[in-house]
Amino acid sequence: MHKSRRVLSLIVQRLILLAAFFLLWLLAARNMPAFVLPGPEKTFNALLMLWRNDTLLHDIGVTFSRVFSGFLLATVVGTLAGLALGASRRLAQFFEPLLAVFNTVSSAIWAIFAIIWFGISNATTVFVVFMTSMPLILTNVWQGAQTVERQYVELARSFRMSRVQTLLKIYLPTILPYFFSGARLAFGFGWRVSLVAETLGASDGIGYRLRQAGDLVQTDQVFAWTLLLVSLMLLLEGGLLKPLERRLFRWKSHTQE
Amino acid sequence: MSALLEELPAAAAPAIALRQVGKHFGTQEVLKAISLNVYPGEIVALLGASGCGKSTLLNIISGLLPADNGDIVLQGEAVAQFSQWRQVAYLFQEDRLLPWRTVRQNVNFALENSALSRAERQRRVEAALQLVGMAQVGNKWPHQLSGGMRSRIALARSLVAEPQILLMDEPLSKLDPQTRSAMHDELLRIRQLKNMTVVMVTHDVEEAVILADRIVILQPNPGRIKQFVTVTLPRPRLPTSRDVAEKVRLLRMEV
Repeated sequence: MHKSRRVLSLIVQRLILLAAFFLLWLLAARNMPAFVLPGPEKTFNALLMLWRNDTLLHDIGVTFSRVFSGFLLATVVGTLAGLALGASRRLAQFFEPLLAVFNTVSSAIWAIFAIIWFGISNATTVFVVFMTSMPLILTNVWQGAQTVERQYVELARSFRMSRVQTLLKIYLPTILPYFFSGARLAFGFGWRVSLVAETLGASDGIGYRLRQAGDLVQTDQVFAWTLLLVSLMLLLEGGLLKPLERRLFRWKSHTQE
Repeated sequence: MSALLEELPAAAAPAIALRQVGKHFGTQEVLKAISLNVYPGEIVALLGASGCGKSTLLNIISGLLPADNGDIVLQGEAVAQFSQWRQVAYLFQEDRLLPWRTVRQNVNFALENSALSRAERQRRVEAALQLVGMAQVGNKWPHQLSGGMRSRIALARSLVAEPQILLMDEPLSKLDPQTRSAMHDELLRIRQLKNMTVVMVTHDVEEAVILADRIVILQPNPGRIKQFVTVTLPRPRLPTSRDVAEKVRLLRMEV
């Protein structure tokens, strides 16, 4: 009863925010030329046009597959490297400066290198996504590996569990929350830089279309793409990642039952 | 001689036998020539100030730590060859419940290394929780429980594999006096029920007097046995009774 009222109030708040946003947009667009700020109506028309266009699904699919490839690669490499650094202090000490370098090099620089090395191809975007998201996953897994309680490892040992069992039953559950927050961050970043990479080094995909629209001053199309992307990401976040995180880490919540 | 010891056949084989056990950490001699028999069904307390090596000794008996010299024999088998580790349970000083597992899953942890069927495991987990009076919180997370409840669940986890030997490293030292006293009763009741051999480490003289059939007093630098004390007081031993208080007073002078 109490909870349902809270949810209802939250929904109302969100709707008010959305309405305020549209109102502001409408008012602002009225006083400006359409190529600077197209109004909601023009944007929705552009969205409809995109929808009817055959390349829409292809572009979204291509971009997503590049992001996922780069992200998956980053997950595998980042997790393994993070575990290795977590397991050996000497290794960690040796490689730590490298991580700082990774974190300071801008994605745009990676994009330019990628074009020089890979040209206009899928590899360019995949590489940029990888270089951006891998350090994030690595850092988090490393951090997680450092927090593994020796007491729990000893507990597993007292029950004569094997190394593999200890890895699965103690290390994995400890690292998982760290991995998950790292992966979420990495996916968000990877996704955003993929568009930058595509504007420079691709001949299809969402980033390429955005740049095309920008070059032709089709501002309404740029707006339409933006709206589409934001909705897609919110859907992915709220519909998949958040529920998954809540389910995986129920044991952390302090308001259970 | 305690009542319990008199019931044993004179030549009963010890459940745990230590002969001239020694241990160094670096150049420091932690244990020197420890010889000790623990008989089946007996509760033996290792009592001593911190630094006397009592926890180290327990770790050596549990096989988690190798001794430098001497023989350790568990149920007639040298510790290096001993394979029935499921019959030996270790209760740590901290409850060490895994926060990402429910109470039931935590207790089940002790069985995940065994060949038991799923149904049998479930039955045993329920029975162990029942035994410590925690059957109703099986689905809770550890952080939702009080310290006393968590210790009971840690105890259930140690007991679920139905061990014959229980090794305890001051598992109750962090509990408040009331909960602690309740846990003493619980331990004695379960020991009676399962006829376990218990070796417990403690620095609390009163705890040793209330629980133990025999007390081994250790002294430090290097850790060695100072004295064996057999406690013959009838049970239940209440901390408020005059006999218990007198025994505690006498022992405090020795430790």
